Amino acid sequence: MVFTIEKQGIARWLEKLLETSALIAPVRGPCGDVVFSTIRSPDQVLWNFGNPLHPPKQFVLPQTDPIVAIKRNGQRHEVEPIHDDAPRILFNLRNCDAKGITFLTQMHAMEPADASYLRRSNSITVISLACNTPCPQGFCVCTDSGPFLSSGYDIQLTDLGEKYLAEVGSEKGEAAISGVVNLFRTATGSEVAQRKTLEVKARSHFGEETCHFASAMRRISTGRVQDALWDKMSDWCLECGACTLACPTCYCFSVKDLRRDGGWIRCRLWDSCQYGAFTLEASGHNPREQRKERMKRRFFHKASAQYYMRDGMVGCVGCGRCVKVCLGTTDMPAVVGAIRKGKWHE
Amino acid sequence: MNDVFLPDIACLEKVRDETPDTKTFTLRFRDRQDGNHFHFLPGQFLELSVFGYGEAPFCIASSPTRCGVLETTVRRTGQLTDQLHRLGNGDEVGIRGPFGNGFDVEAARGKDLLFVAGGIGLPPLRSLIWNVLDEREHFGKVTVLYGARTPADLVYKDELKEWGERSDMEVLVTVDSAGPGWTGNVGVVAVLFKKIMPHPDSTLAYVCGPPIMIRAVVQDLLTRGFQEEKVISTLERMMQCGIGKCNHCAIGHRYVCRDGPVFNYREIAELVE
Amino acid sequence: MLSIPTTCPFCACGCGFYLLANKGQLVGVAPSETHAISAGRLCARGWSAHEAALWGDRLRRPLLQHNGTLGPASWVEALDHVAGRIRNLIDTGKSVGILGSPRATNEENYLAGKLARAGFQTNNVDFCFHSLCRPLFEGFEEVSGQYSPCMRLNDIESCQTILLLEGDLAKTHPQAASSVMRALESGAHLITIGYIRTQMARLSSLHLRTTPGNEGAVLNGLVASVLHLGLEDPTSVAVHCEGYDALRRELATAKMTEEMHQAAACIARAKQTAFLMAPTSGQGDQPRKDAAALATLAAITGHLDKPGSGLLPLLARSNVQGACDMGVAPDRLPGYEPCDGGQCRHRLQELWGKELPSARGLDAETLLQSVSGVIILADDPPSVLAMGQRAMAAMAKIEFLVVLDAFVTPTVTISHVALPIASFAETDGTLTSMEGRVQGLRGTTDPPGEARPGWQVLAELCTRFQVDASYGSASDVRREIAQAAPRYARTEQPESGDGWGGTWVGDSDKRKFRLSATRVAALTSAECPHVLAREGTYDWGRDPLVSFSPTLSRDYQSQRKLFLNGLVEICKQDADRLGLRAGWLVRLTSVHGDAVVPVRVRMDLEPGVILVPYAFRDHVASVLGTDSIAAVKVEQT
Repeated sequence: MVFTIEKQGIARWLEKLLETSALIAPVRGPCGDVVFSTIRSPDQVLWNFGNPLHPPKQFVLPQTDPIVAIKRNGQRHEVEPIHDDAPRILFNLRNCDAKGITFLTQMHAMEPADASYLRRSNSITVISLACNTPCPQGFCVCTDSGPFLSSGYDIQLTDLGEKYLAEVGSEKGEAAISGVVNLFRTATGSEVAQRKTLEVKARSHFGEETCHFASAMRRISTGRVQDALWDKMSDWCLECGACTLACPTCYCFSVKDLRRDGGWIRCRLWDSCQYGAFTLEASGHNPREQRKERMKRRFFHKASAQYYMRDGMVGCVGCGRCVKVCLGTTDMPAVVGAIRKGKWHE
Repeated sequence: MNDVFLPDIACLEKVRDETPDTKTFTLRFRDRQDGNHFHFLPGQFLELSVFGYGEAPFCIASSPTRCGVLETTVRRTGQLTDQLHRLGNGDEVGIRGPFGNGFDVEAARGKDLLFVAGGIGLPPLRSLIWNVLDEREHFGKVTVLYGARTPADLVYKDELKEWGERSDMEVLVTVDSAGPGWTGNVGVVAVLFKKIMPHPDSTLAYVCGPPIMIRAVVQDLLTRGFQEEKVISTLERMMQCGIGKCNHCAIGHRYVCRDGPVFNYREIAELVE
Repeated sequence: MLSIPTTCPFCACGCGFYLLANKGQLVGVAPSETHAISAGRLCARGWSAHEAALWGDRLRRPLLQHNGTLGPASWVEALDHVAGRIRNLIDTGKSVGILGSPRATNEENYLAGKLARAGFQTNNVDFCFHSLCRPLFEGFEEVSGQYSPCMRLNDIESCQTILLLEGDLAKTHPQAASSVMRALESGAHLITIGYIRTQMARLSSLHLRTTPGNEGAVLNGLVASVLHLGLEDPTSVAVHCEGYDALRRELATAKMTEEMHQAAACIARAKQTAFLMAPTSGQGDQPRKDAAALATLAAITGHLDKPGSGLLPLLARSNVQGACDMGVAPDRLPGYEPCDGGQCRHRLQELWGKELPSARGLDAETLLQSVSGVIILADDPPSVLAMGQRAMAAMAKIEFLVVLDAFVTPTVTISHVALPIASFAETDGTLTSMEGRVQGLRGTTDPPGEARPGWQVLAELCTRFQVDASYGSASDVRREIAQAAPRYARTEQPESGDGWGGTWVGDSDKRKFRLSATRVAALTSAECPHVLAREGTYDWGRDPLVSFSPTLSRDYQSQRKLFLNGLVEICKQDADRLGLRAGWLVRLTSVHGDAVVPVRVRMDLEPGVILVPYAFRDHVASVLGTDSIAAVKVEQT
């Protein structure tokens, strides 16, 4: 279903949504950074912005995520799952992030499904805005995650000038506009055509050299990347883990029990395959002792045919965060480029 | 959809010392007295919570043929296992599982079975051994080769004796260095191979133990003509969730907790790190 | 969800990020693109900064020791007890002291110093890490007149040459390593000097190999090369430097190599050169002389006090600079001014309304071994001091030991009084990074239990000693600091527009650079042909912010578990020559004594060097004596 809403109508829509949900949108924070934050009024929403470095995956997978409450009474223990199914709407996300959340949901819905994650994600509605002018660091065209999505969204908005086109792609999307149907009217043929034109124009912004993903994927999947290349590249990595922590599709975690009065709270914590101790065994043996092995692991998970076949999606949404947050110089585009060329820094 | 991180509460019913640093714990589910809901295959593992110290994976050492009995053999290596060793009868732990692929018991029917274990490698095989012994008529020859560093380090000492006295299986035990009173074999497990003649075509070999031992034994088996698919082992990795989501145990796109921990050598060779 | 901008509490790079909290509990960390140093990037420690405060073993209420065990007490009871006992010790002529901390804020350190000097009338004030970084400051000060750096961290990226002396930068100061990498990608040259082929060394254009204690040979060689090749900056030498001729004479016979020539050219000809230095090993005053030599190299090549160039001391911990600036030193006052300096003492006496002691106090190591009463602020001496576990034994003999900390450390367990203070995530205050940037900590969550901000607790103690401490907030303390240490008042404009509000510590007056060469030490002999060196200056594994972080503590815990009997590291060539394999035992013998430890083989170590990681120094204490290096004989056992 495709609708349009006048730009003046957005405030009314958001006010309606605020009645029943927490509303999270990009805002400008106190130190000038753009961050995703809970808003109380529609005018807090930032429309023109660079994508926040901290991805919205924090709303489906917090960095510290309490999942089980363990109570102790003498020698006896009781356990209970911790429920978080508060209704939330993530508003004005970029499509790369929307796709990221779709990816994470798929990972956690895979058998055996993770109820704790799904309780939260089932109560989250994602409303994204397609990028008419793609960001300079993004490469979403390579990963089929933007600038416009063809499926896998709750509501996809497109800026048509005086109004937004709203493509509703799910029941949750429908529910999000059900309270304000009067603000939305069915889109006309020319409006839909305009959206298609905007997509073509947006895609044309990406240059020829953007997309080496496929070629890198081929080499990664068939083990044809020279060990010496990984060795060289890994010297430019400072093992900060930011690439994985800021990545909308990464979800490695550890589980630990947090001591609280009367017992513990079992929490899931963000972890990273880039950290040395990620694969460290109790015996002291570490199958990925060297940094190059960990780097190789990351790119296999993100960009191998084997994972692509398993997941139906590539493990990257081309948001470009890893470029900005990498403490070293080994972001996705740099490594993908090096793999394709067969050399680093030459 | 399940609360996959929610443990069942179990009580320690029996604690047996195996070696100075290894104990076997018999677990009984507290709220599901019969334990019938916990169906497992030999070779699978469980995630055991020692409340306040975390959770760790341990292989199930008992056989599914024995209803209501759940055993695991644990060596003391760190904070969690240290605390576990301090617990006694009636103390509670958490259990999640069973996880992993387990051994293909069906495929072993009618075959001769060779079990080769070193040190703490015997517990995962014990589950399968007892499964086989409990359904003895379905399987061919059963041979167990087991070695440890010293006589004190042998696990399941009583059972080894019991197995040794059975007429329907052959058991050979060795130690790297003998202690006073030891009258058995001395030397690494590989030396026991000289005493047996496994038939590569009709035998399945199960090998568990320290990496060095496994390497030597597998080499020996392959040179004797064993096909890689007939040599089976369990892989060790750091594991946390047990359900293939936390990614700690990933090897390429395979997960030791889901696609393993049981792998045959052909599969191991194909694993891309 | 709360998102509070604050400063990183780990190393001294001075990154900033947002601490995230939900329903009063810390959840995580988010990066900031606008922060001048971080620019959206953090290291692994920064990304897990929230963990220790959340997961750590926290001190929640004041504890008093009764019959050998610590039991809960009220604040009033605890503070009165502390004041009473210390007053008693002072009145009976016994010595007391206070140890500040490089993981405490400027406000906390300042008040610790004020309490000691104005309250207890003693200059027995120091911090455990001081002896390891003092040589850097004193060496720089000797030459440039300034002990604190003149280089900005962000300028590293635009340097054409970077000289890195020791320090595994990628591990100790990842953000600085990041700047170096960016400079390299723009075509800069990195010259490393060291005895380990670190990650930075692998990225270098030139790696000058040394052995521990012998960095002086390379430094002298570089200075000599500049002189020999006529590469000195004539203006700098003529106008700003003193002692040029003496330097030439002293270095007339210095050994030079082709590599040193190349390095010298690279350093001298670059428009902007960064000189990054971690404290070197060496006996006695060798580290100080090495620092002076590096400053001399910068001075004669015209890079000292030149915008975009300069020296940067690689300080391990977030507030080493701040602790020094606050006068947490037995011979220095706020502003790092000498204790007997007339003007400074006069100003402070006016400000604090009290006469101040002029006699130099005891340094941290001596203090712990000789005073009857000590207050330790947010530190655990056995894990920081080179003397390691011997500090624990020394502290056990102290008549009255008080600790202020957020975390339960080993020192807390043997204290007579433990006062719970807020962690970095729960308090306001400032930290001064290694480049002299003063930045704010902002509390995100409430301190647990009855813990209070450290500055408040110290203020209460001050009041009990009739020292004026009526502060309503950490900002009030900061305002007083600006009066006590004018360097902290003379701040430049805060960084424009980013809202982070960092300010610079003011420059001191200009003076001539006093050039100085270092000594070349001959340590080894035929009898003791190897050098045993303590690697690094800080055991991160024992720092509460790491040891209590589930994500960060794993590697360290595993190492400690695997090497219960200690560890030394040796290179493959030496291992082969001595017939050693990993895990085997060696006996190390020096003039001080001997020890038997397991050995591990490293591929990136210079031959002739035996390394003991800082975390395992206790096991070879008998071999090292009081130095960080010793010539040893190595035998298989």
